[in-house]
Amino acid sequence: MLKILIVDDSLIIRKKITTIVEKLGHEVVGQAKTGEEAIDIYEGVKPDLVTMDITMPDMDGITAVKHIIEMDKNAKIIMVTSHGQEDMVIDSIKAGAVGYMLKPITDEKLAEVIGEVFLEYACDEHEDDLELSDDDL
Amino acid sequence: MVLDSLILQSKLFFTEDMGIEIEDIVRKEKSAELNLKSHTAMIGVGGELNMMVVISFDTPMLNKLVEVFMEGEDVAPEEEEEIKESVTGEVINTIIGLSIPTFPKRGKGVTITPPISINDASNIKKHKDSKIVSANIKTHYGELSISAIIAKDVLK
Repeated sequence: MLKILIVDDSLIIRKKITTIVEKLGHEVVGQAKTGEEAIDIYEGVKPDLVTMDITMPDMDGITAVKHIIEMDKNAKIIMVTSHGQEDMVIDSIKAGAVGYMLKPITDEKLAEVIGEVFLEYACDEHEDDLELSDDDL
Repeated sequence: MVLDSLILQSKLFFTEDMGIEIEDIVRKEKSAELNLKSHTAMIGVGGELNMMVVISFDTPMLNKLVEVFMEGEDVAPEEEEEIKESVTGEVINTIIGLSIPTFPKRGKGVTITPPISINDASNIKKHKDSKIVSANIKTHYGELSISAIIAKDVLK
């Protein structure tokens, strides 16, 4: 089960993602309406995955990604975006986001991106298993 | 034309994504002012286009959209207003996002602002250097209008 932080200024989108995340058997550990809130909550809950809106009042998603990556270079952040925001998606990826999901959000799309994070986790854990100890040498 | 793109993407969004059939569309190419309905949201589009896009809903139409977005879940009374604002924002965001790639002369680096909601306003009047293009879209659940307020030099 992954711990997920949802960042979006739209209540309807936060509700929609929460419903899907819980249906998929993961836990929503926090919700933020702004980039600044996201940074504060991230520090406290250390989620496995963040879904991040791009356009938000006060601090946008791209700036929030930069701040979170500064705090945790291994942060897994997925941008939630509309068609027509391709330039901003590219900026987000350059800032450290690991992927993006186009609206409208569906169970299948969210399951797919979460699956990708799971796979990466599985690989990370597997790499740890393969590390040789001094005794092995 | 910007209005053609907005109308086409609105039709696709309401019929295919929301399951709401369009009964009629009335275009207004030259309006001196924009009469607003009960619930309105606005987004600024930056870059070479530089315009404001406004979407305005009758209450029954917005209620239907909320129902579709909530997928049958009840709305708590204390969340009702925020949900409605959220839905108007998401609808305009989606239509703009789908329309931008089809806008003529859009150039590179198009940006959009977060949506804002407008309450208790009845109309928007244009400045002498701007133009309002608009479409009134009729459905079984009521009407909505989608409009763009564009600087005249963008249209040249």
